[in-house]
Amino acid sequence: MAHTKFPVEVLTPEGEVFNEEVEMLSTHTALGSIGILANHEPVLALLEPTELRLYRSESEIVRFAQAEGYLQFTENRALVLVEEAIAPDQLDRATLETRLRDARSSLEQAQEGSERQARARRDIRRYEAFLAVGQ
Amino acid sequence: MASQRDVKSKIGSVKNIQKITRAMEMVAAARLRRAEQRIAALRPYANAIRRMTRQAAQAAGGAESARVPLLAEHESESAVAVLLVTGDRGLAGAFNSQVIRAGVRMAGELGQEGLRSSWYATGRRGVSSLSFRGYELEGSYVGFSDRPSYADARTIADDLMTAYVDGRVDRVEMVYNAYISPLRQTVTHERLLPLTKATIVGEEPSDGEEVEEETRSHAAVEYEPDPEQILRRLLPDYVEISVYRALVESTAGFFGAQMTAMRSASDNAGEIITELTLQMNRARQAEITQEIMEVVAGAEGLR
Repeated sequence: MAHTKFPVEVLTPEGEVFNEEVEMLSTHTALGSIGILANHEPVLALLEPTELRLYRSESEIVRFAQAEGYLQFTENRALVLVEEAIAPDQLDRATLETRLRDARSSLEQAQEGSERQARARRDIRRYEAFLAVGQ
Repeated sequence: MASQRDVKSKIGSVKNIQKITRAMEMVAAARLRRAEQRIAALRPYANAIRRMTRQAAQAAGGAESARVPLLAEHESESAVAVLLVTGDRGLAGAFNSQVIRAGVRMAGELGQEGLRSSWYATGRRGVSSLSFRGYELEGSYVGFSDRPSYADARTIADDLMTAYVDGRVDRVEMVYNAYISPLRQTVTHERLLPLTKATIVGEEPSDGEEVEEETRSHAAVEYEPDPEQILRRLLPDYVEISVYRALVESTAGFFGAQMTAMRSASDNAGEIITELTLQMNRARQAEITQEIMEVVAGAEGLR
């Protein structure tokens, strides 16, 4: 059965990457995975790096590797703000692996409880998620 | 006086230079357009982040309630991070040197207040100029000034925020060329950290309509997790966005400055060519006159 569609806008600092009507949006918030259908209640959520899925229909799915960001759903419109949203075939494994290695070595050098440690952990999560999407 | 052939070859080389400067001018113009698009592309994202922050701050009961290290002023100041945003390349008039000069002047003023400057620079020009002057760089970021990505800005912002939160610096200042128009860039100082409430929430929306709309949408919003945690995560984005904006504006400014510099170089080359052509004609005329005089003198001698 076809679902009602609702508009979704995906914005990154480097520009808009998606602006269409979809049947469902699925991603991962700080509290767990979330699926949004039309007429969902208003929500403001923190997003974790993961695969963002936009269902144009049940069989046609647009996918992005999504970095940390925010999801806002109000008045039957979804706004996804993320630092990066990359189509899976645009992911550069070699670069991601280097960055992941850098982040891991930064984590090893970081002091317990420091800001550097927190940021290194966050980077590792992002690059691991991206690599998983690329597979 | 230079011979006709000397002048001719000189004209040739000036013409070649002019061809190069013309080409560079056109390349800079094309890249400027692309850089302008990137500035425009950032705006909707930055505005949306600002709206979201206002909403989260209201729901959390004001930005002050969130105990966020990026908002907290350090009790005493002893070190200030200075970030200079320059280009990787030159040939753009005073573009790079004016930022470096402003940064060095600022460090001098900080020094008089008894504050130590900790240097950060983006762009090969800034990095090499500072190291040449004997300043030690805490962070140098090069290789992307033609096309900075958000990830580049994030790396820089991360280093600065880490230095601030971990207490190595007590304030972060940034000096860059703000992009006004293709013909104008102004050296701009911006305080990145500590963040102030004014930078975050900005001016209250002036038209009542927007306020109304916002309060309505707050009605029954579900927050995942609570608004305070969302707010905490939104704040570093401001530093990242500020750095990114400075990078893209500096890029646009660089191409604008390069376009202007190359245009005046082409104009100058044109002037030199006119002058040299005049000189060449004069030299040719002199040679002809000389020959005529020799012929006449020879004819006189035969009489």
